[in-house]
Amino acid sequence: MGFVKRRTIVALASVVVLALVAAACGGSSTSGASSSSGGAPIKGGTIREELQEFGWTSGFDPTGEYLGTAWSLYDQMIMRGLMTYNHRGGDEGGNIPVPDIATGPPTVSADELTYEFELKTGVMFGPPVYREVTSADILYSFARINTASLSALYGNYYCGTITGMTCDKDKVDTNIEGIETPDATHITFHLDQPTGDFLYRLAMPATKAIPEEVAKCFTKAGDYGPYLISSSAYMFMGSEDLDITSCDTMEPISGYDVQKGMTLVRNPNYDPATDSTEIREANIDGLQQAINTNYDDIFQRLLDGQIDVAAGTPPKGVLLKFETDPQYANWLHADPGDRTWYITMNLFAAPFDDVHVRRAVNLAFNKEGVRKAYGGEKRGDIATSVEPPTVLPQSVDINPYPANTGEGNNDAAMEEMKQSRYDLNKDGICNDGGACDNILFLGRNIDPWPEMDQVAMASLGTILPGLTLREVDTTTGYTTLQQMKKLVPISSVPGWGKDYASPFGFDYYIFHSDGIYSCTGSSNYSLVGLGKDLADSCGIGAEYDAYVQNNGDVPSIDAKMAECVAKPADEVNPCFAELDTYLMETAVPWVPWVWANNWTSVNPTVSTYVFDQFGNTISYINSAVNNGLAPENVA
Amino acid sequence: MSQVQAAPPEVDTLVPVDAIGRVEGRSPWQLFWMRFKRDHVALGAGVVVGILVFFALVAPLLVTLFVHRGPNALDQNLTSDIGIPILGPSKTAWFGVDGIGRDVFVRTMYGARTSLLVSFIGTGLSLVIGIALGLLAGFRGGKVDTFISRTIDIVLSLPLLLMAIGLSVACGASIDGCAGGLIKSGVPLVIFIIALFGWPYVARIVRGQTLSLREREFVEAARATGFGTWYIMLREIFPNMLASIIVVATLLIPQNILFEAALSYLSVGIPPDTPSWGGMINDATEGSLYFVAWWMLVFPAGFLVITTLSFNLLGDGLRDALDPRAGR
Amino acid sequence: MLRYIIRRLIWLVFVLVVITAITYSIFFLLPGGGTDTIAQRFAGRAPRPELVQEVKIQMGLDKPIYMQFFSFTKNLFFGDQYGWPGFGKSFTLRLPMKPILLERTLVTLQLALGAAVMWLCIGIPIGVLSALRPRSLFDRFAMIFALVGISIPVFVLGAIGLYALVYKTHLLPGTGYYSIFEYGFQPWFSHFLLPWFVLSLLYAAFYARLSRANLLEVMGEDYMRTARSKGLTERRVIVHHGLRASMTPLVTVFGLDLAGLMAGAIITERIFNIPGIGDLAIKSIGSQDVYAILDVTLVAAFIITFANLVVDIVYAFLDPRVRYE
Repeated sequence: MGFVKRRTIVALASVVVLALVAAACGGSSTSGASSSSGGAPIKGGTIREELQEFGWTSGFDPTGEYLGTAWSLYDQMIMRGLMTYNHRGGDEGGNIPVPDIATGPPTVSADELTYEFELKTGVMFGPPVYREVTSADILYSFARINTASLSALYGNYYCGTITGMTCDKDKVDTNIEGIETPDATHITFHLDQPTGDFLYRLAMPATKAIPEEVAKCFTKAGDYGPYLISSSAYMFMGSEDLDITSCDTMEPISGYDVQKGMTLVRNPNYDPATDSTEIREANIDGLQQAINTNYDDIFQRLLDGQIDVAAGTPPKGVLLKFETDPQYANWLHADPGDRTWYITMNLFAAPFDDVHVRRAVNLAFNKEGVRKAYGGEKRGDIATSVEPPTVLPQSVDINPYPANTGEGNNDAAMEEMKQSRYDLNKDGICNDGGACDNILFLGRNIDPWPEMDQVAMASLGTILPGLTLREVDTTTGYTTLQQMKKLVPISSVPGWGKDYASPFGFDYYIFHSDGIYSCTGSSNYSLVGLGKDLADSCGIGAEYDAYVQNNGDVPSIDAKMAECVAKPADEVNPCFAELDTYLMETAVPWVPWVWANNWTSVNPTVSTYVFDQFGNTISYINSAVNNGLAPENVA
Repeated sequence: MSQVQAAPPEVDTLVPVDAIGRVEGRSPWQLFWMRFKRDHVALGAGVVVGILVFFALVAPLLVTLFVHRGPNALDQNLTSDIGIPILGPSKTAWFGVDGIGRDVFVRTMYGARTSLLVSFIGTGLSLVIGIALGLLAGFRGGKVDTFISRTIDIVLSLPLLLMAIGLSVACGASIDGCAGGLIKSGVPLVIFIIALFGWPYVARIVRGQTLSLREREFVEAARATGFGTWYIMLREIFPNMLASIIVVATLLIPQNILFEAALSYLSVGIPPDTPSWGGMINDATEGSLYFVAWWMLVFPAGFLVITTLSFNLLGDGLRDALDPRAGR
Repeated sequence: MLRYIIRRLIWLVFVLVVITAITYSIFFLLPGGGTDTIAQRFAGRAPRPELVQEVKIQMGLDKPIYMQFFSFTKNLFFGDQYGWPGFGKSFTLRLPMKPILLERTLVTLQLALGAAVMWLCIGIPIGVLSALRPRSLFDRFAMIFALVGISIPVFVLGAIGLYALVYKTHLLPGTGYYSIFEYGFQPWFSHFLLPWFVLSLLYAAFYARLSRANLLEVMGEDYMRTARSKGLTERRVIVHHGLRASMTPLVTVFGLDLAGLMAGAIITERIFNIPGIGDLAIKSIGSQDVYAILDVTLVAAFIITFANLVVDIVYAFLDPRVRYE
């Protein structure tokens, strides 16, 4: 996984500048990121949330867990590492990493290959590990990332960057060449090449402190989750009962049951003096996330006041109430989700191997209609470019298809289609008699995609009458898209959200050629920047050659991305703006249609609502609730 | 307890007599038809079925002539800002509209096509396979019979809905479908599943009938004259079990209509872009949408029940007419 | 007799092995499945080949299919590290399957048994009374009810029931499963009432028709006339001879129906959010959780085949001719 040079300026300073730029230009479409009933936040009470299932990718084991809701819980409540976020909205700096266990920004060498951190003292693990967090605990997390059997799903942010980290060790080994721990309060990282967003990577949950004496018993992916030891303000209820005298005596902590739910209570060893109320107010006494397989019931209980928070799309009847009944006016919070929903087109699948067809699709697509079928304006702003403005503020100004004011413009689309070689009689409709027939449009079969897909098909039906809709379940959709040989021409299945909020982090996997991992695994579904060798070995050599013959070189952003990442801090975003403009105008792999908001429905018992921009969930750590319940007493 | 009447012996008033009172002979089929004609309820059900089949066949024509909107023609002006249908049964849309403004009446008519098509063809395939294998097993006996009977036992031990869901997901997951593209998800897949799990019922009955028929005199006579296995099976045995086969078919068709609806309801049957009653009911119950848009549930569900009911009534009537001793 | 039972038990084992093979084929050999696709679902959204390979190793998918099938079957019959029978581990929940299966089977059992009691208490009396008063008004209405009952699918009846009894009138509290041990009788009962009714209607209708037909047929039999001519009261005739003779076939049908219900209450469990094995089946098929799918299929098939076995043994007991076939 090659990384690229970045020049001079100290990493953190540049990050801060980015933050100022983001804060100045970033917008959220509807309600503000935080709301409060006035006055100081109420202390105490328990936030009660219900969800249908946790849906962990890796059993809630922080080394591998890739689910955003898990990251919120780790970063806000349970775990501390070198860096963290302030768990507030994007306009309050919520997407900028700040020091957590680190006393302050690292000392970075002139060549940007060495990062030295000093650690605070007095940061304690929760029960039953009653001791201070040291640099060895951070090192241990990296050792786990480095171990193949623990399946660190985003391990490639570290392996190939930190010297000696290869992510394929067959057992947990704390001897890593590129990480030094001279004493308990100092840790130094040696990098293979300068990496501008390294601090973002040190804020990810996999790098947070893990005590070896407990975790050494769990060497398979996902096993450590039920035994998670806290290093932050909250812990699993019942942690003190965990018997850590030996691996055999350990039973899963009672406050966590993957089928029933999780209750978090205050960690008695947490010292607020080692933290900052800017980052963690810790108003609530506890959080309970209960599993309720009945989705309608979840929202009914929210309306009845039996729970305080419910995430996701409310059932239609409830949604109608939220929209029309003044009593429920502020219950639904729509916050920027740092996510884009889009239509993906495959550069090598006819007729989308002709850029005029792809542009025509961008002109014809009824973004407003699809958004309405999806749930309306609160779902987010109509997207005109690939990255949400919360990640790249310049995105609001990138609009290469102004003729499409949102509802699709068939006339403009047909004009564009006339320039395509698939329009033989130049009437604005794809009709070459071969590639224009039976074009597979892959959609999802779960609500509300069937309706969205119908709107999409209707809007494209004039210029592409040969579109045929096939709908599959979500995971099947993704795995089908990833198979290069299938050459799925166009699909509404995928969405993409950030891992962390730098434009590089957003664009890298989905548009860089590195994002095409193998013939059956990829995040770059459009195959931007695909190389000839890989195309041949995966069986689409003929299509590759045909593309080159008809259009010239395959569009690629690899070089431009390298250039952008090497720029001084204040030129990074404008450079990425150029990159995204190139993507939208010249490469045209996507039709982005909405910069999606996250929906959280909240009962007014939540007296202060704060949004965590990093995890894209409610900020449990900085919100407040007035129900006065003790977590042990919540049913 | 007072005297309870036992059922009085049936006098078959259908025994036809000629002009001077002698009993006339009637073929079994003529008798069947005369008995069926007298059963008003079954006749009524037959008429309903006929109407449904008619609508299913001419639905596209009706739509072009009268309604001018296809099953997927959407109109988002008829929904609220958040995609909830606000137009119920009215002049513009006789059965109301759904979440993206599609006409529920048109979709219900097209749904009839889907349901009838799938259940007729699926049942037909079950019959063909079941009859062939049942005849073979019953007539040949021996190892052939054992193998076929054991296969029937195994298929009948499979948890039906579970395997149907699994098969549907597995074949539907690939865009190429199973069997080299022959069985794509959608109508072909559902027909395949119906046929695959339906043939054992038919085969078992056919086998039983074959076993009892093959010892009859006319079969021995045919064998003595030197006719081959297949000839005997088809010409002598099969026509005599036609009645049973009709009975089985009348049982299977409504069952399969419900089966397809169940699969579509679970989103593993007919894909959402083709209107199907099960899928429409799923749309209505998803997120309890029908609480605020009752028409989305009532019409497809009503048609589904009426269709199944009519086929069941018709089946009852046919069974009674074929064999009046059996129960009425 | 003993030989017959042993023969049937061997057949049971054989059927289970065959069903395992069929399930393996569906999920691994059909185009939508395959070990690569399955493993990739669990490798996150950046599925690099090393990650996919690691998932395959941990799920046991890296070995050839026939070896996986063999070791799964071996574990099933001889137990694995989680106990006997060896049901393996769920990959999505990271928990052993056996306790999950046990818990969920018990829930489905509550659903099925409650529905069974309901349909027997509704269906059979209606059928018997109709047979005793053929072509009366009661008979006609009863048969209309029966006909409608077999024509309404569960998901329609459930939707209507929820709207009428829960949403509009609040007569019933809603969907979900409330264990009698944790919550007491009232919540448990009130949450099961509607699912029981919805599930039982189809069978009640069917049993009404069946018992009516059986009793009518039996009442016309010669030995009934003999009993009457012996001077027994009509009531004794019916209860002693008629009912017994007509109910015997129902017993076997009931056994098979109950088993089929256990294996197939999928839609009911989904509508009413009852965490039984049907619900588990849908979830695991959707998430391609391989061992969960295999286990649920086997449990369901076992119940069906075992019920067949019991029914056949009862039959063999009653009718010696069957044993010597």
